[in-house]
Amino acid sequence: MQSEELIVTEGGLEMDTMFVNMGPQHPSTHGVLRLGLTLAGEVITKAFPDIGYLHRGTEKLMETRSYHQCVVLTDRWDYCSAMTNNLAFCLSAERLFGTQVPPRAQALRVVMCELNRIASHLILLGTYGIDIGALTPFLYTFREREMILDLYEKCCGARLTYNYIRLGGVAADIDSGWVAKCREFLEFFKPRLDEYDTLLSFNPIFLARTKDIGIISKETAVAWGLSGPNLRGSGVSYDVRKSEPYCGYEQYDFEVPLGASGSCWDRYFCRVQEMRQSVRIVEQALAELPTGELMAKGVPKIPKPPAGEAYAHVEAPRGDLGIFLVSDGGAAPYRLHVRAPCFINLAILQEILVGKKVADVIAVLGSFDIVLGEVDR
Amino acid sequence: MSAGADFLDRLLAAVPGSQADTPVKDYPTVRLSAPKDLLPAARLLKDELGFDYLEMVTAVDWLGPVNLGGFVSNPNPNPFTQKHPGPPVSPVAGPGVTYRPVLDLLWSFGDLVKNRKVFLRLEVPRDRAEAPSLTGLFPAADWQEREAFDLFGIRFAGHPNLIKILTPDFLQGHPLRKDYVHAKDRYDAE
Repeated sequence: MQSEELIVTEGGLEMDTMFVNMGPQHPSTHGVLRLGLTLAGEVITKAFPDIGYLHRGTEKLMETRSYHQCVVLTDRWDYCSAMTNNLAFCLSAERLFGTQVPPRAQALRVVMCELNRIASHLILLGTYGIDIGALTPFLYTFREREMILDLYEKCCGARLTYNYIRLGGVAADIDSGWVAKCREFLEFFKPRLDEYDTLLSFNPIFLARTKDIGIISKETAVAWGLSGPNLRGSGVSYDVRKSEPYCGYEQYDFEVPLGASGSCWDRYFCRVQEMRQSVRIVEQALAELPTGELMAKGVPKIPKPPAGEAYAHVEAPRGDLGIFLVSDGGAAPYRLHVRAPCFINLAILQEILVGKKVADVIAVLGSFDIVLGEVDR
Repeated sequence: MSAGADFLDRLLAAVPGSQADTPVKDYPTVRLSAPKDLLPAARLLKDELGFDYLEMVTAVDWLGPVNLGGFVSNPNPNPFTQKHPGPPVSPVAGPGVTYRPVLDLLWSFGDLVKNRKVFLRLEVPRDRAEAPSLTGLFPAADWQEREAFDLFGIRFAGHPNLIKILTPDFLQGHPLRKDYVHAKDRYDAE
């Protein structure tokens, strides 16, 4: 801490401002995020989010990797939802190649990505509870998340970095035993959602800490380019699954939950409701699982797409994840850009934290559900 | 996506010198002729055509194949093969690509109500990489322009706080430029 210049409050009181480093090692920053906060008493007058501690240069790395190798690197961005990262990259590359993905692979992609959305939102529920001071929900949400990870392990062998969705399809098939186990999980999970509501969502202390805190208006949310539940929490109905359906999302019947006021609680509760919708989507996809191939025919071992540029985006659990891919006809992408939702969502902090109390920083930051692996790439 | 191109006609008519470009698959793409056209085009998109969501700011360095000096260690070690072929970087451009010393800037604007998207492109020379900043119109440009500044060395005129964002303070150069060579620092092995 170091003191900065003198300021005079409204009551005519002279006081020092104080500079406080929150992070990069701080349990509530969910990774290596540093917030430089200038405080007047307990009120923030200036916030400076400092990122880059986890920058691994994957965009550069991919310029020397073949397309199949790139899929492995995508897992490492948002490691809480690696499936959607795989999917965004593969959709973009498939657009470049002009590959048609077989229907069974499309349905499996939807199943896996929606399960991943549930698993990812469960992490938020648990850790947000901890941030606010409720330790118990964490134990419950991680029990359910573990069941999803077991399903993944059974299907593709990995629990965190799956490398499951590949160019032209998916890597492994599921059998009837897997489907039964998945249905069993969904049946177990549905009543748990109500349990979370009693445990956390409508807990009076939790409500007091999150309702009417960190309000972002519709206009501000759009201007700062927020996406995902953070945008929908402010009441803007924008979901890539609805606006530009991919992998056959147009066949499934689901709703896009919206928040009312754009407060921390609205952002949080959007995610709770999204999990219900994800359960619906998985149920529908499993009910009408097409039979057939898992991989498109003729995807070469070392793919060399024709020169060109493609953009594809998906609705990741944390927002609108887009991949801009440039090919010069070689075996490696000439340039790959990630529109990382966490990175763009985080930028608004410098504006909305001003005027808040220090304790609210944790509530606001937690409600954004950032993963620093994706912020820094 | 190509349907409803009337906004494209209005954009092309309002910004002299701009032309429809080879589309980024499969979105309408407009190439601007000079940096001064960017702000009027962005203002038109935002205020009159409903594209109020700045989705992406990025760039492509068209200098040529990537310089492997930009990588710290063995680019692609594979213990399972006797002689690994090395990174698949092609020395020559495929058909339809010309390597040239330019940075190709790219902006993507979205219309969340009508579900439309349009890409704007602008080529700037590598040694004078400058473009106007969109922070005045879209706060979302703040960090994305800082990222492009950090990784490509593009100077966005009018940006209020154009400082490095992802790479460490001591890192020299702009890593996503194709000719970037890593200078040894205190974190490298001897």
